[in-house]
Amino acid sequence: MASDPSNPTAPPDPPLLLVGTDFRCSPLELRERVSFAKEEAEKTLVHLLARSEVAEAFLLSTCNRTELYLQPRDEDGAYKAALDMVFLARAPELERPGRLYVKRNGEAARHLMAVASGLESMVLGEPEILGQVKQASALAEAIGAEGPVLKRLLRSATSAGRRTRQETAISSGAVSIGYAIVELARQIFSGLEECRVLMVGAGEIARSVARPLLERGARELVVANRSQERAAQFKDELPSAELVPFDRRQDEAAQADLVVVSTGADEPVLTRKHIAQAMSSRRSRPLLVVDLGVPRNVEPAAGKVENVFLHTIDSLDLLIQRNLKRRRDEVPRAEEIIEQELQHFRAWFRALGAEPLIARLQKQAERIRQQELADALPRFPAETHADLERLTRSLVRKILHHPSSRLRAHEGSADDISRLELVRELFHLDDDEIG
Amino acid sequence: MQTFLDIATILLPLAYLLVAIDYGFLFFASQPFAERTATPALRGTVLLHLAYLVGAVVQWGQFPAATVPQALSVVAFAVAVVYVFVEWHGRARTTGFWLVSLVFFFQLLSTILASLLTHSTPPDREVFHKPLFALHVSLALLGYAAFVVSAAYAFLFLQLYRDLKAGRFSTFYGKLPPLEVLEKMMIGAIWVGFVTLTGAVVTGAFWAERLYHNAWMHDPKILFTLAIWALYGAALLMRRLRRWQGRQTALASLTGFGVILFSLMAVNFFLTGFHGFM
Repeated sequence: MASDPSNPTAPPDPPLLLVGTDFRCSPLELRERVSFAKEEAEKTLVHLLARSEVAEAFLLSTCNRTELYLQPRDEDGAYKAALDMVFLARAPELERPGRLYVKRNGEAARHLMAVASGLESMVLGEPEILGQVKQASALAEAIGAEGPVLKRLLRSATSAGRRTRQETAISSGAVSIGYAIVELARQIFSGLEECRVLMVGAGEIARSVARPLLERGARELVVANRSQERAAQFKDELPSAELVPFDRRQDEAAQADLVVVSTGADEPVLTRKHIAQAMSSRRSRPLLVVDLGVPRNVEPAAGKVENVFLHTIDSLDLLIQRNLKRRRDEVPRAEEIIEQELQHFRAWFRALGAEPLIARLQKQAERIRQQELADALPRFPAETHADLERLTRSLVRKILHHPSSRLRAHEGSADDISRLELVRELFHLDDDEIG
Repeated sequence: MQTFLDIATILLPLAYLLVAIDYGFLFFASQPFAERTATPALRGTVLLHLAYLVGAVVQWGQFPAATVPQALSVVAFAVAVVYVFVEWHGRARTTGFWLVSLVFFFQLLSTILASLLTHSTPPDREVFHKPLFALHVSLALLGYAAFVVSAAYAFLFLQLYRDLKAGRFSTFYGKLPPLEVLEKMMIGAIWVGFVTLTGAVVTGAFWAERLYHNAWMHDPKILFTLAIWALYGAALLMRRLRRWQGRQTALASLTGFGVILFSLMAVNFFLTGFHGFM
């Protein structure tokens, strides 16, 4: 068991080994080679567990990272197995220095918690990673690759991930163009589900913006595009979109709440006059216009019309940078939460040691003895009470003697941890009773 | 009872100040501590305020609006109650800082003016004991309170409007309810204020005609109240006619707020009339 040598009272860390690579260490062409589909991950975990050096295993494979967490019986052997079976067999180039990272024990645990919290993500605080960790955990559990240590570690990691998102603003605020438009619309309209969206232009940018708008419940999406072919392609990808002729864009703007313009036109396709006319035919409802064109597709003066909010690629970028800064400011609070979860994980592991477990077992037995004695004593003459006390005490001691001796033989190996965890579960020695 | 009223007079602005600071932590720093404590602290303070007003009724045997400090305290209480309701309704908790700050301002003003007044007891006129007086004054103060609430939302609306228009994303952006919600709250408050102030004008006119005949036409307080009534009425009409949108209505609401402050303060202190008591 590893521990902090500088502090003899520091809690021992659970034996863990992490080998991994991510977007910081490896380019995409290497990452995609060590990316594992569900079936491949299953097969790899089964093969790893067949090795005597590995007690437990968990494989996290996303587009930005591949990480293998092991609870080793023999650390050197487990490390070699990880390299051979997961990384180097698929991408020998990963052997070059700096391509892979290796973390052990508490550092490995902390890293998984940071990953689940989105602190290690390419886009800080992105929410998908927590779901990916849960999916990978479910897969490992389904094939029996997770033992008590990894199961508990993943519980702590998902708890850290959930808490950082609930208790900090690490995932708040949009950090992509599409979601920045969603965020702007939400700051103007009571609900996106009441918004009619007009997309002028049907190119790749329009499609990437339309998706989050529909995902977040925009009521209707209308597309006006010069090329019918491209409009049809848009409709193929997003069938709920309604196609209208490009010439009708001004009339449609009067009906819309949100207009997103992204065409390749050299001149504005919506002028101040168009927008002013559109506004005169609607009630006092505001209009959000987002111009993603370069050169601009909407006449800048259109933004001066009352109740019209005109945003460009620059203002969206400003919003994204502001949100990213807010997320970065939340990192220390997220790290505090991770530290708390790490302490809980360590406390669990410490309590799993033979002596603490025996102490809790004895405490539980003593509590039961005293409860039963308290119920029974009034039914017996007073002169027998001392004998009953001695008798019950002796019974408990003798019953616990053999299991206690066996538990003390615990040597800290991976298999012994499983046995200790079994004892904990059998006698219902929950974490709440620790200490 | 008098001791309780004296202590509460000092305690209330202090309590509202602390609650406003708490809501400030919630708005500016999203502090978990403020997240937990702001609402209970406000509700507790509003209960203390209610006890203070009930105590004043018991002590003086009349509706507690016979003096400017009392009227200001009733307005502060009404604004606080409106905000508690808004928050309970699940909307716009982040606006608490601005609303409670206004409540604090009115209650502080009430306490300061109460300490400056030479007489410690409110005047005791026969009209103060009539039920119609309580109705008339309640409607007027409720109307003022609703206009204060509308001014708070108008201020926030304008901040957010300017941010969104300029693509500036200041402190207000992302922390306030959507622009449409702020506008609805502002307009809703103007409607409540307009209807209740209409009630106050009607009850006042009916009653004053009998008591003072034509003399009430020259009372500055009444003239200012009619001006306020006309201003908000015009704002609602302009919206109905689709001439004004959110921004113009918000500016009208803030103008009305200025006139209300002047009416509550300057008219009572510097101009004379039969509303001179409050």
